[in-house]
Order: sequence, then structure tokens, then C-alpha cells
Amino acid sequence: MQTKVHKLLRRRDLGGGSYALEVEGPIPSTQPGQFYMLRTERCWPVQLPRPFSLYDRAPDGSWGSFLVKPVGEGTRALCDQQPGEGIVCTGPLGQPFPRDFADPVCIAGGVGLAPFLLLARQAKAQGRTLRLLFGGRTREMLSGIDDFAGLVRMHASTDDGSFGFRGRVTALLDDMLQKGEVKAGEIVFCCGPDPMMEAVAALCEPRGLRCFLSLETYMACGYGVCNGCTVRVQGPRFKGWPFSRTCMEGPVYEACELVHDAH
Amino acid sequence: MLETSLASLELDNPVLSASGTFGSGWEGRQFSDLGHVGALVSKTVTLLPRPGNPPPRIWETPSGMLNSIGLENKGVDYFVRETLPKMRELAASGRKDGRHGPRIVINIGGESIDDFVALAERFCREGVHALEVNLSCPNVQEGKLLFSTDPRLAEQAVRAVKKVADVPVFAKLSPNVTDIVAIAKGAEQGGADGLTAINTLIGMAIDWRKRKTILGRGIGGLSGPAIKPVALRMVYQLAAAVRLPIIGVGGVRSADDVLDFVCAGAAAVQVGTAMFTDPALMVCIVDEIRDKLAAAGTTIGDLRGAAHRQAHQPSGSCAR
Ligand SMILES: Cc1cc2nc3c(=O)[nH]c(=O)nc-3n(C[C@H](O)[C@H](O)[C@H](O)COP(=O)(O)OP(=O)(O)OC[C@H]3O[C@@H](n4cnc5c(N)ncnc54)[C@H](O)[C@@H]3O)c2cc1C
Ligand SMILES: Cc1cc2nc3c(=O)[nH]c(=O)nc-3n(C[C@H](O)[C@H](O)[C@H](O)COP(=O)(O)O)c2cc1C
Ligand code: FES
Repeated sequence: MQTKVHKLLRRRDLGGGSYALEVEGPIPSTQPGQFYMLRTERCWPVQLPRPFSLYDRAPDGSWGSFLVKPVGEGTRALCDQQPGEGIVCTGPLGQPFPRDFADPVCIAGGVGLAPFLLLARQAKAQGRTLRLLFGGRTREMLSGIDDFAGLVRMHASTDDGSFGFRGRVTALLDDMLQKGEVKAGEIVFCCGPDPMMEAVAALCEPRGLRCFLSLETYMACGYGVCNGCTVRVQGPRFKGWPFSRTCMEGPVYEACELVHDAH
Repeated sequence: MLETSLASLELDNPVLSASGTFGSGWEGRQFSDLGHVGALVSKTVTLLPRPGNPPPRIWETPSGMLNSIGLENKGVDYFVRETLPKMRELAASGRKDGRHGPRIVINIGGESIDDFVALAERFCREGVHALEVNLSCPNVQEGKLLFSTDPRLAEQAVRAVKKVADVPVFAKLSPNVTDIVAIAKGAEQGGADGLTAINTLIGMAIDWRKRKTILGRGIGGLSGPAIKPVALRMVYQLAAAVRLPIIGVGGVRSADDVLDFVCAGAAAVQVGTAMFTDPALMVCIVDEIRDKLAAAGTTIGDLRGAAHRQAHQPSGSCAR
């Protein structure tokens, strides 16, 4: 864990409005699903840093990258950085996807793609090719998909049918479940917008698939000191305590551990 | 040269963490050498476990943030068993080269006088360096009338704690009152050894599209740079009205901010929300203060309360 200024090397346009921000190392060894808190060194327009999964990393840590989609002031400021400018990165933070499953079915929506590149590389290095279901509104919105060429068995879906399966990624999963391409007993890793993750969990749990979700909770500190990022939880991992800090015990939770609040 | 004291408690320097914004310090130990901060102030500890408020609990606002954590903590038994040893380890790491190392200040929160007394007794047995009494619990539903809003209640709580405590007791004040000086005088009457000012200002955020409040609890406490002018004004008022050392807190993110508080009359300063932005900030601020004072050819002692000695006295009252 460290907090350091990293020079932006390159801003790569991934299409669909997202960018890969490639920063100079050293980037500490990071497990897929772990994240960093980022802010610009100068002229950060907001107070709090923002959490991002590490998207890619040189094997020797000499550079790393983050997949960022501008959705508000912080993400816009990060994407407006010019090569040579500084990005303050604090991490790696949080717990990664569990490492005990060799062949998880990975499901991503939008920038939820980010944690899967490192996971795919790790699997590939061990001679395995992961399945990745990746959905977006159009072909253009599948930002980052080209970075996975040759790394995964890609099952893409677009709402307008311009690429891959026509429909939501959840419909694609449903289709694959019905065809037996994804089966009971398998493990699902999922990252994307909340409604999508809820829908994926709702499909998986009754069919006997364990499902791990990487949450994108609003955070303040990212390193466990504010208790602001909590989600309501249940299960033995939490020893009866009803809340868990997403930045410490998360961001990855098994779907059955999450209890939904009324608010 | 930055040594300061809060009543009988001697500190290496006047930079402390603010309760609830830096855990026990342990979580942030990898980011800087915490042996160099003046004191680590714990998150509020209560007698029994408190799960805290429903999420969402935080929301960023222009130049600040709202929080409604609700004093989530696992209670005093857990704290003494699991957390206090870690604070002791951090404190020991800084106790060298003639330095005291970070002092351990435990912030206690009670729903009754008895709670406060039990907590104070327990922590004094554990040998902590000081207690900070959280009179202001703006997020907590139970305590109907807050200790922080009534001079008599503040006095009673502090007096009860002082009776059993053999370490300095600081009363942490809430800004959500008509006259903070009246509450401070209550705490002074009760025997407080110092005052911490201020806790968060109660606020709210609403999302009109969803037609509801953003925080799960509805209201939350505002902190960060947005509240620094309010905190400075209150510290200034307190310094003019009471004889106790004051720990200033609210929106500090640089050495300049710390020195502003010192000029207003603070003997020490806590860094809160800014630790979320930069987990190594406190230690940087300590170094920066040294440099700034040297460059300006002055000392903390010279600056302390200097704004009270300027030619045109600002009005000490709330009238402008
Ligand atoms: C562990 C983790 C990993 C993440 N990884 C990535 C990543 O790899 N790439 C990426 O682009 N983004 C990622 N995110 C999301 C990213 O952190 C947010 O998009 C970012 O914080 C938005 O900041 P902003 O200042 O641009 O927007 P803001 O102005 O803060 O918000 C813009 C809008 O989005 C909403 N919003 C912002 N953050 C959240 C949130 N966390 N939950 C719900 N609503 C929110 C706000 O209500 C607002 O309407 C991740 C989040 C987490 C917690
Ligand atoms: C997330 C958060 C949690 C806090 N928890 C506590 C607490 O447990 N006890 C307490 O006395 N003050 C608590 N505070 C208040 C701070 O200690 C401090 O008084 C206030 O935030 C103003 O300082 P700042 O602007 O530097 O943050 C909390 C503040 C924040 C932002
Ligand atoms: S974001 Fe502060 S505890 Fe998780």
C-alpha cells in the first residue's frame, strides 16, 4: 500500500467515451479486483479522491493503467490530464476476487470491465482462457473490448444488436444458461452497474451458481478509516456485524452476503 | 521546537488526528511515519457496540462532505482488546530520540452520564494519555437532548468524567448551538482540561429527481474546508472567553490552516476530512509547519492567539 504521484504516460481512447490512463510505475503488485484511490496532483476539482480498479499492469510494475469513464467532475478531471502531469494513486486497496476458482464465468457491464483484464492475464499465464460476457448499448460502447483479443473467450452483447448477442448481458447469460453453456455449480464473477449485478445474481442463485459481485460504492477514504462506504451484509465472514466496509472487506462480495437496504 | 502542551499533556507537536477520520491510525500506518504526529485521537468509542446508520452514509458537497456514520463501533471491550494495542504500538514507534511519540487520546461517547463514567474509568485503567468527551453526537438518534446543546448537561458530563479520570479530559464541542461559549463555560465549570472545537455542522443533501434525501439517515454532519471559517470563528470566540487550552478542528488541510487556528488561539489542531484526500497529510503538515515558521522567523508561541492582539479587534459576539 502506498500513496504516490505517478506521471501520466499516455491517455488511450478506448471508444465509447472511456479512456485507459497509463501511468508510470512503480505500480505495486495488485490482485484482480483491487483498486486505487485517484486524484489529479494539480487542480483536483473536488475534495475526495475517486476509486478505480487497476486495469492493467506491466509484469514488472513499470507502468499501470486505469480504465476511466468521465461521468462527473472527478473522472472528467482525470481524463483531461495531459501526458507528463501527475496523478496521485493510493493503493492497492480492498480484497480481490477469490483466488480459489480456476474457471469463473466473468460478466462485465460498462467500466465494470476494468478488473477483468488482470484476471484474464493471470489465467492466461496459467494456461487457462476465461469466458467473459461483456455488454453495452452499442458496439462503440464496448470500451476496452479490443484489449481482450486473444486473452478470453469473449461473449459480447449489445442492446441494438450491432455486435454479438442482441440484448442485455443478463439476457445473454440467461440464454447461455438455457443452452447449458453456463451450468449449475459454476462460479460467476460480476462487475457493473448495480441493477445489472442484481439481475445477474437473481439469475444465478436459484440455478445453483455462486456469484461474486464487485461493488462500486461511493467512498471517501478508501483505506478503512471513515466507515462511510459500508453496505449491509450477513454471513459468517462478518461475525454477526450488520455492516461491512466496501473498501476493506470488499469491493468483492458473494451475492448472498449482501442485504438490500430500503433507502 | 514544535512542542506544545494541552494542560499536563506534553506533545511533540500540535498536529493531531480528528476523531472518526483516521480510525485508530493503524489503517494509515503504511502511508507515513505516524511516530511524528502529536497525538492519535480514536474514533468515538461507546460502551456497547453500535452498528451505526443505514447507508448511504457519505456525500461530497462543494468544499466538504456530509457524513452520517452514526458512531459505528464495536464497543469498548472490542476496542480495548483489538484496537488499543495497535494504538500503543504506533505510540511506541515514535517514542525515541527524546520524543514523546504520538499520544493516545480516546474519544468517548455516552448516552448517559453513567456511560461516560464507565468509559473513563476503563480507559484510565488502560493507561491512555487523555480523554476527549464527545458531547456532540449529531448523528445519534437516542440521546434526545444532546450533552452538547445544554451548558448544564455539558458540565455534568465533564464533571463526572473528571471525578474518575487521572488524565487530562478535553470536551469536544458541537457548533450546532446558539452560543458555543455558554457550553464551553459549562465544560470549564465541570473541570475540563481543554476544549476541542468543532464537531461537524448538521446538514442535508437532497436528490430532487428521486424526491428524497441522499443520506440514509436524512441528515448528516458537514466537514471539510467549507467549515473552516466557522471553526476559526468559534475557536477565536472560545479563546477570548475561557482560559482552557483549545484544540481547533474543522477544514484543516495545510500548515497554513494550522497556523491560522494557532493565531485564533488554538494550542493544537486536528486534521480530519483532509486525511481522506491524502493519507500521509498529517506528517507532511508537521514538516511544513517547521519550514513555514522558520521562513517567517517566528514560533508557535509567538503566533498563539496573535489575532486577538491585532489593532482592530474583531467583534467577539455573533453580531457583525
Ligand atoms: C472499487 C471501485 C472500483 C471502480 N472502478 C472503476 C473503474 O475501473 N473505472 C471507472 O470508470 N469507474 C470506476 N468506479 C466508479 C468511479 O469511482 C466513479 O465513477 C467516480 O467516483 C465518479 O466520480 P466523479 O467525480 O466523476 O463523479 P461524481 O460527480 O462523484 O458523480 C457523478 C454521478 O455519479 C454518481 N456516482 C458517483 N460515484 C458513484 C458511486 N460509487 N455509486 C453510485 N453513484 C455514484 C453520482 O451520484 C453522480 O450522479 C469504481 C468504483 C469503485 C468503488
Ligand atoms: C466520516 C467522519 C466521521 C467522524 N466521526 C467522529 C466521531 O466518531 N467522533 C467525533 O467526535 N467526531 C467525529 N467526526 C468529526 C471530526 O472529528 C471533526 O470534528 C470534523 O470532521 C471537523 O473537522 P474536519 O473538517 O477536519 O473533518 C467525524 C467526521 C467525519 C468526516
Ligand atoms: S471509504 Fe472510508 S472506510 Fe471505506
